[in-house]
Amino acid sequence: MKRLLAISLLFIVMLVIGWQFWPDEPPSTTSYAGLGESSGDFRQALPGTALTFPKDHGPHPDYRIEWWYLTGNLVAEDGRRFGVQWTLFRQAMAPSNPQQDASETPWTSRQLWMAHAALSTPERHHFSERFARGGVGQAGVKTEPFDAWIDNWSLRAADDTAGFERLKVTAQGEDFGYRLALEAEGPLVRHGKQGFSQKSADGQGSMYYSQPFFQVTGEVRVDNEPVAVTGRAWLDREWSSQLLGATQSGWDWFSLHLDSGAKLMAFRLRGAGDDENGESYLSGSWITPEGEVTPLELEDLRLTPLEYQSVAGRDIPVHWRVQVHAHELDVEVRARHPDQWMGTSFPYWEGMVEVSGSNEGEGYLEMTGYADK
Amino acid sequence: MSTAAPGVLRTTLGTLLSHYRRHPGQLLMLLLGLWIASALWSGVQAINASARESYARAEALFSADLDRIARRDGAALSLDDYLALRRAGLPVSPIIEGELSLPDGESLALIGIEPLSLPGGAPLAQQDGDADSLRNWLIPPYRVRVAPDSLAKARTLEGLPPLEIDPDLPPATLVTDIAVAARLLNMDRHITRLVIAPERDVELPSAFVRTSTDALASPGQLADSFHLNLTAMGLLALVVGLFIVHAALGLALEQRLGLLRTLRALGVPARTLILALGLELLLMGLTGALLGIVSGVILAQLLLPDVAATLDALYETTVSGTLNLPWYYWLGGVAITLGGLFSAGASMLWRAARVNVLALGQAQAWRARLRSQLRLQLLFGAALLVGATCLWWYLASTGGQQDLALGFALVALLLLGAALCLPPLLAGLLGLLARYLPRRAALLQWSVADLQLQLPQLSLAMMALLLALSANLGVGSMVGGFRLTFLDWLDQRLLADLYVRPSMEQFEDLESWLQERSEVATLLPTRSTEAELIENDVNVGPVALFGIAPEPILRRHWPLLDTLEDREAAWSALNQGAIFINEQLARRQGLAPGDTLQLKSPASLITLRVAAIYPDYGNPRGEIVLPVSRLATEFKAPSGTLGVVLAPTEDRAQTLERLQNALRQRFLLTGEGTDGTPLIDQQALKQMATEVFERTFAITRALNALTLGVAGLALLTTLLAQAEARRAQVAPLWALGVSRSRLVLLQIGQLVMACLGTALLAIPLGLLLTGTLVAVINVAAFGWRLPLHVFPGQIAMTVALAVMVAILAALIPAWRLWRVPPRQLLQEFAAA
Repeated sequence: MKRLLAISLLFIVMLVIGWQFWPDEPPSTTSYAGLGESSGDFRQALPGTALTFPKDHGPHPDYRIEWWYLTGNLVAEDGRRFGVQWTLFRQAMAPSNPQQDASETPWTSRQLWMAHAALSTPERHHFSERFARGGVGQAGVKTEPFDAWIDNWSLRAADDTAGFERLKVTAQGEDFGYRLALEAEGPLVRHGKQGFSQKSADGQGSMYYSQPFFQVTGEVRVDNEPVAVTGRAWLDREWSSQLLGATQSGWDWFSLHLDSGAKLMAFRLRGAGDDENGESYLSGSWITPEGEVTPLELEDLRLTPLEYQSVAGRDIPVHWRVQVHAHELDVEVRARHPDQWMGTSFPYWEGMVEVSGSNEGEGYLEMTGYADK
Repeated sequence: MSTAAPGVLRTTLGTLLSHYRRHPGQLLMLLLGLWIASALWSGVQAINASARESYARAEALFSADLDRIARRDGAALSLDDYLALRRAGLPVSPIIEGELSLPDGESLALIGIEPLSLPGGAPLAQQDGDADSLRNWLIPPYRVRVAPDSLAKARTLEGLPPLEIDPDLPPATLVTDIAVAARLLNMDRHITRLVIAPERDVELPSAFVRTSTDALASPGQLADSFHLNLTAMGLLALVVGLFIVHAALGLALEQRLGLLRTLRALGVPARTLILALGLELLLMGLTGALLGIVSGVILAQLLLPDVAATLDALYETTVSGTLNLPWYYWLGGVAITLGGLFSAGASMLWRAARVNVLALGQAQAWRARLRSQLRLQLLFGAALLVGATCLWWYLASTGGQQDLALGFALVALLLLGAALCLPPLLAGLLGLLARYLPRRAALLQWSVADLQLQLPQLSLAMMALLLALSANLGVGSMVGGFRLTFLDWLDQRLLADLYVRPSMEQFEDLESWLQERSEVATLLPTRSTEAELIENDVNVGPVALFGIAPEPILRRHWPLLDTLEDREAAWSALNQGAIFINEQLARRQGLAPGDTLQLKSPASLITLRVAAIYPDYGNPRGEIVLPVSRLATEFKAPSGTLGVVLAPTEDRAQTLERLQNALRQRFLLTGEGTDGTPLIDQQALKQMATEVFERTFAITRALNALTLGVAGLALLTTLLAQAEARRAQVAPLWALGVSRSRLVLLQIGQLVMACLGTALLAIPLGLLLTGTLVAVINVAAFGWRLPLHVFPGQIAMTVALAVMVAILAALIPAWRLWRVPPRQLLQEFAAA
């Protein structure tokens, strides 16, 4: 009996030893140091800020976001319609620190660059995206001569003497590419109040100007087939520190070339405006063929979705009615085909549209923030 | 047959178990066997499971399956190279790697990645798709990710960004943004490497070379062999442990045969009896499994740091030093223990089911079948040995790369066959002994006859001992032989006193400077690169090319395994355009001296003739040796290492020191660190290699010793279990006037005799095992064959060990006999 007791004792001892040696459960989380960000603020876009060129073609790192946004409507000799997009986004992840950190390395940067390139063919849509951190030189924008680049994509002055009015643009994706020359046939256009474009009823906004008068010649390449093209392009420049307001869910943005020679920029910011439903904020610019701008307010402008289609699992309005009473414009804007979805990290719809009604024309439409079904 | 009510079952079970109350030693032995079998097995499995989990994590790491890009001139990469390639449209990504030393002397690997360019699919490239986490990653205060098992270590480092837990990371690895890594490692504009997704087929500028991820030495297969080795060891221990269990169960049954008959006679249905015995087994099994797994985890915990160090040193795979056990590990441990127990207990259940109620008084009846049983064992064992021979012959005839599993099957057949043959052979030996012993030595005659009688009980323990001894001998000779060969080979290959690895720009300067020094006798430059090997117009993948300078000193010492004619002819063939290949390549591709192979050089396809095959221990890859000049011109290999052979001098150490100092001053070379060190002393190199070697086999040795210990325990428990019964047999001798001290000596002598016989049989078996290990297992696992070395000293040690085990095992029962009062002996005599 005593020995039986000894055996059970041995057993218990084994268990206790085992318990001691048992691998520790890994702790599930570690405490964040709780270090908040430095309280420095981004600069805000304000009315009355004067635009100066060529300086303002370059980056504004004190603002949170900024873009160089080119869209083009192209046509091949055989009549096929193509659309191109070349966009470089800059985002500051934190306000810049006035005291340079002693521990900085060549890789240190608060600026994040992202670029999207797309080519719409009459049937399909090709797109590609690039990312880069600032600081190292993988992406950036310089003025004099103008050069905006990321990896081997670039939008730059055609030669060292050319200004912002003669540019060349190139980008390549896995199965597409393009190389285009741009020549401006009109002046730069300042939107809103001398370049301050209000973005919501509470008065916040962005700095916003465009070059909508580019004539394009060049070559697009789809599946290794080069196609010579000509057409028109529109370059938007915008920077701000306010992303969408808290209640805004997305936007619908039109840039239209009318056959009369006039251009229309119009946008609807959904969910934070002062229109009759209190739902959306509308604004725009009527641009004469000579480049004179008339800002359009809520009461001047009417943007009505006519038809929704299912694209990438979302209901997207690919057919619109656009009305500007003051300029006797009442047109339907229709996507050339619905499948112009940018399935990038931040997905959205961006594509070529055709204009019919009181005025014929073409242009680009961007729609963001449509939720997954 | 019908099953009785639960009450009957309970009573039956209680009655059966009461046996162990009277014989706790048997219970102890049973549990011990189960415990040991399951402890060693589950310990090994815990190590394997933990290591596999680490591998899985390492493989999931971004850099594991990405191609690498390096500069063709061998210079270090910089931010400018990265920019040049990115601006050319190549989707490369930079990685900065280094080691951070911990206060306790260990170190953590630090990997700095650039998440924006890192090819997708890698866990970190996805960044949880969360913009906030990317932002936290990229800007101060940044983040460092670490696996939970390395968190505590990471916390000891100062100046690290906030830590984030990432269970997918390999152990001892910190991952952070490249900006942080550049700061912590003082890299400035330097980059450790550039990576590119393997599926991106792009045109590289000519200044860069791409290395495919497949070509990077994959530790997978090698590490697998290592784990297979461990598993085989664990299995051996399991088998030995189950031998003990089998012995204990057999004894428990034999002593309870009477009880079983009584129970049956009392009306307990046979099925209830079997059920009760089965329940008893289950109870034992669960207890044993629990004990075994608990101690297995302890064992693994103790061994794991060594295993981790070995794997790190050998295969550069990082294994966590702490255990991470998946759920199936626990189930597997219990299942294998129960499975083993029931396989050991099956015969007991079988015999119990056939208990003859009427055969009372024939308790020892089954002994009559002993002879036929021995014959059956011999037959079966011989069949297994024949099977082993056939397998050996098959493996030898296939020659080339063999299946490791078949190799282990061969080992298993060999060991099992020999173990089965042991009892009949021992019985035969004893029979011979009995016949030739002088008639007058009655006591000796008696002890041999008595040993013969004990054989059935002892045989299982002896079989366990045989397995353990021959494994000990086999593994010992293999490790010893490997050691000799390896050290010899190191001496032959490491001819230079100092190895210098200058940068591309410095190379020519340094070479001419060294050539002018009087203390330098010969310079042995090497270069290395890789090329695609084409066989029968099929690209079989990249092989390593190694360029050597065929100087006289090298020609004298460089080891060659096989040549077409002789050494001299081979070397002149090398100078005239032939090549040498390593044993691994020769085996893998089935090449022999005189054969040709095709290589794709940057310029064209070249056909080369094999002049010789050389041994290349420790290298997992196929390798081709060419003259260094040829490698530079035809294969554009970057400059590599300069071996410096000193002129004969009396104070080698001082000359070397002077030369090293001069080099440091003149060329700013330093000798610190291990990776990319431009100056390496030959002795330091040898010492490092030897350390790696010793570590590799530390675990094998430890497990080996444990197995031997288990076999000793098996012997001891067997003896203890039958000690009482034995006393009854010894008592008459005492009554006849033989003194107790003589009786004790006789008993020890008997056991020493049995163990000696076993050990003598273990010698040829151990040598066979060594042969299998070096000629079959090694070739299959590593691609090289080792010469067979026999160490007489080690054999003597093994025999001595067996005798020691026998004496130790016999000591306790003998001591008890010594202490038994004569009155009790008298009683036992009367009872017998």
